[in-house]
Amino acid sequence: MMKFWNKRVKLGILTENPELEDDIKAIQKEIKDKVKKKFAGSLAIRMVDSGSCNACEAECNALSNPYYDLERLGIYFVASPRHADVMLLSGLMTFNMTPHVLEAYEQIPEPKWVITLGDCPVMAAPFEKTFAIKAPADKYLKITHHIAGCPPSPKEIMLGLLEFLKKI
Amino acid sequence: MRFIARYAKERGRIFEITTVYDTEVKKEQVDKEKPVIGTLSHEHPAALWFERKMQDDFGIIVEDAFDKRPLVHQEQFPKHVHPMRKDFHAKELEFSEFQPYNYEVINGDGVFQVSVGPIHAGIIEPGHFHFSQAGEKMLHLEVRHFYKYRAIEKMLEGKTLHEAKPIIERISGNESIAYQICWRDIVLQASQQELPLALQKQHAFLLELERIIHHLTDLGFIPNDAGFGAALALGSKLAEDARRKMKEITGHRFGFGAIDFENRLLDTASLDEWLYDMEENIEYFEDWIIDIPSLWDRFDTTGMLSLKKAVKYDSVGVVARASGLATDRRLNAFYLQHGFELSSEISGDVAARFKVRISEVKNSLKMMHNLLEEDTTALHIKSVDDGEYVSFTESSIGELFMAIDIKEGVIERFFVRDASFMNWQALHVMMRKDIIADFPLINKSCDLSYAGNDL
Repeated sequence: MMKFWNKRVKLGILTENPELEDDIKAIQKEIKDKVKKKFAGSLAIRMVDSGSCNACEAECNALSNPYYDLERLGIYFVASPRHADVMLLSGLMTFNMTPHVLEAYEQIPEPKWVITLGDCPVMAAPFEKTFAIKAPADKYLKITHHIAGCPPSPKEIMLGLLEFLKKI
Repeated sequence: MRFIARYAKERGRIFEITTVYDTEVKKEQVDKEKPVIGTLSHEHPAALWFERKMQDDFGIIVEDAFDKRPLVHQEQFPKHVHPMRKDFHAKELEFSEFQPYNYEVINGDGVFQVSVGPIHAGIIEPGHFHFSQAGEKMLHLEVRHFYKYRAIEKMLEGKTLHEAKPIIERISGNESIAYQICWRDIVLQASQQELPLALQKQHAFLLELERIIHHLTDLGFIPNDAGFGAALALGSKLAEDARRKMKEITGHRFGFGAIDFENRLLDTASLDEWLYDMEENIEYFEDWIIDIPSLWDRFDTTGMLSLKKAVKYDSVGVVARASGLATDRRLNAFYLQHGFELSSEISGDVAARFKVRISEVKNSLKMMHNLLEEDTTALHIKSVDDGEYVSFTESSIGELFMAIDIKEGVIERFFVRDASFMNWQALHVMMRKDIIADFPLINKSCDLSYAGNDL
């Protein structure tokens, strides 16, 4: 047990970009009314993969590692669309997933927004259109914000989410 | 004889069915007008998905199969459409009327069904799991996938090998380097060139780096699914360190575009130091986690795949090695010279798969020291010849098989079989003695790819 605590003390706090906390504080002040009213101070995200290569999902998972620790900003990934404010959509909107994505969107309570993640949902990735691909996603859903990259790095995702908060 | 893959090609007026085993390749031809073949699924249950896929892709009828349900084509997919046929050119398909899919279920007094997915609670890929339950006990599980089906095989037809590269490296993000190495081997065969040792070592270094990133992520997530979050904090920290190293070396966090025939100068001294540091960390991790009894209480005997079943289902990769089946594509002179040791366990449970991962991370780090090279010989690729080429690579999940036919300089048929395609089919036999609450843990311990499976 002592070994564990020694390691813990030696590692210290790894979380980077503390300036983002100031950013979110500033944004929160700026759009305080909106966030307070709409999000009760925190933003709940439902991540939906509509046919990606899993790199975007890996980067979203990385957002919870000690370096990024997204939750300190009051932004959470939630387990059900019914708990969410925002759908974060990655992937190519495949033929087989499209009906399920739309169903998940239906389940999100109003007011709701869609953010597209990575190059796939806007058809900017090297994948070519086939019969099995329904992207771009804006044919089916109203997209409020887009986070570009193949895949976007965790820091780019964080900055993208903050930009989205400034936008609405 | 280990069954590896079975797939069809359209050749004028016939379909050629290729069946790949570890020791031989069998080919049979059937008339396109009356495409009827026999099933192999009685001897090799894992042949079933290949055959159901052929039925959807080409309209080939597997006469004596016990399961003729569609695989890739789901409820709203138009009937009698076979997209892999050469005369199919549509770029858009309309949704057709909803046709319910008949799940494999067990019925009886008090037995109920639990349907999970395709969208899951965590940040994971989409897929469907259908359980028949007697209380908490899982009586049966059907794994149903292909929600991510992007028609990669069709997409790549008509492209040159170089045009296909950016797509091939994005088939499965976690195994990008492995896919690229399979592609590389086919380019080398088609241009009849040998890879200089320096490049071979550099690519192998990247493949091992990809493996430790994937394994370290799992070493965090598996305990997390048993309710031990501290391991995820440390595991994901180490995985992030390794991913940043990937970015430093290749310019991309997942190594997209990393495997080419140019040679990057590696700072071997600093990498050596980094590897020692990682070794110290993984040893600390092992030492720490092995002493958490409540965790091993969940791991031991959970999700057991016996050696007999692993052989029967032709399992590959970490799953096979954890059940005592010694299959690894790295069992060759090159890897053995650089310090490769096969990691295996015999108990076949979650604990075994966890321990195989720890041991592989340690072995990979040891090998990576030996793979560091300061030589910067590059290779210029000559033009490629037409022909049929196959290659194998051991990805972080298991054996990856790729087959490409080139005709008039472009891809005539592209086929790839991810390790996941085999192992998904063995998942339901691991559940026999467990309760449904153990399912996420068992699934995570195999950590199979959905994207690589669905294509």
